[in-house]
Amino acid sequence: MKRLSKLLSVLPALLALTLSAPAGAAGTEGGLGPNIPAPVKGEQCVEDTGEMRKNHMKYLKGHRNEALREGNRSGKYSLKECLECHVPPAETAQASRSEGEHFCKSCHQYAAVRVDCFECHATRPEKSAMFHPLVTPGMQTLKDVHQPDSAALLNNLAENQNNTGAIQ
Amino acid sequence: MSETKHTDTARRDFLSNSAKLAAGVTLAPGVMLYGVAHAATAGQGASDKVRWGMLVDTNKCAKGCDACVTGCEKENGWGQGSNDEQRSNSKQKAQWIRKVELRNTATGHVQSLPMMCQHCENPPCVDVCPTGASMKRADGIVLVDKHICIGCRYCMMACPYKARSFVHEELTDQRAHAPRGKGTVESCTFCVHKLDAGDGTTACAEACNTEGHKAIIVGDLKDPNSEIAQAVAEYATTQVRADLGLNTGMRYRGI
Repeated sequence: MKRLSKLLSVLPALLALTLSAPAGAAGTEGGLGPNIPAPVKGEQCVEDTGEMRKNHMKYLKGHRNEALREGNRSGKYSLKECLECHVPPAETAQASRSEGEHFCKSCHQYAAVRVDCFECHATRPEKSAMFHPLVTPGMQTLKDVHQPDSAALLNNLAENQNNTGAIQ
Repeated sequence: MSETKHTDTARRDFLSNSAKLAAGVTLAPGVMLYGVAHAATAGQGASDKVRWGMLVDTNKCAKGCDACVTGCEKENGWGQGSNDEQRSNSKQKAQWIRKVELRNTATGHVQSLPMMCQHCENPPCVDVCPTGASMKRADGIVLVDKHICIGCRYCMMACPYKARSFVHEELTDQRAHAPRGKGTVESCTFCVHKLDAGDGTTACAEACNTEGHKAIIVGDLKDPNSEIAQAVAEYATTQVRADLGLNTGMRYRGI
């Protein structure tokens, strides 16, 4: 019993470790956690990363009903939008048909979640998403100015610019 | 207790006054209620102010031409627009739109026309669906919600136009805007992704125009200024199996 409670006390920490591993790093390293490919583009998801990890399915389901039944496809929570950033389009060199390298599938496989999205939906975007709302002109300008590709600097700048609409 | 009563009355007065105020505000720009143009634009969602319809002029529809069919296949990724359904025979394969030739046995006159989902106002497929997957949008477009379709195919039996297909095998490489998959029923979507994006037309109509036949007009039947509304007002048009009282969104001229 004591051993069990000790084990249980370690479990949350272990989970937190697994889930908080940065996507990019997890993509290259082995070990714990799913092998999640880094996003193709964009610095920030439509919601906070933690929120998306926990509730992405709720956002998707809400959008699906609104888009199909109400015809309102303007929402940012569509599956198509997910793929735009997280999966490279077919014609690029990054594209891979391997299931393990698909952003959605790799995590679902790891977590043993069986979702039916991709029995019907396309698994990758049809064309490059250069004009994705997350890659706004403001963001591009920032990238151009700070050529020395310092991701941290860029993120800091983006955060500072957040209120002025650099990232929407 | 009496104090509470007093409070309630005050609240009622306030609510009633604000209701009057609100009514006044609403009535003042009353013309807006009737003056709002309801042209289909992107991002507004389906509205019952719009009724999407299609008019096919069978006199312009060329015999042997299947541009509308190939256009639809390419746009929505079925038939020749995909590499799938290799194991299905021709009767099992998906068919969102097909060309039909009608021959008058008395005169020998042959007519050609495209046949697809007629987007009925009273769709039998929606009536019989046990899960609510078969549905009609506010703007009259009849769709299958494949998320909740169980593949029972009652709708296929109920449809008088033989417009729906069932997918028998696993598919890959679907078009991003046209999800389709094994175990669900599908049919013409009136290119709903194009209409919702504000294109105002469908792939079949575009293909027909490209071929130069211009036999298909797509538009809002409720908008008196639209090309289709003016055409149906000017010419005699027919609904296929009008006797069923389904009030289809598809209309044909010359049959």
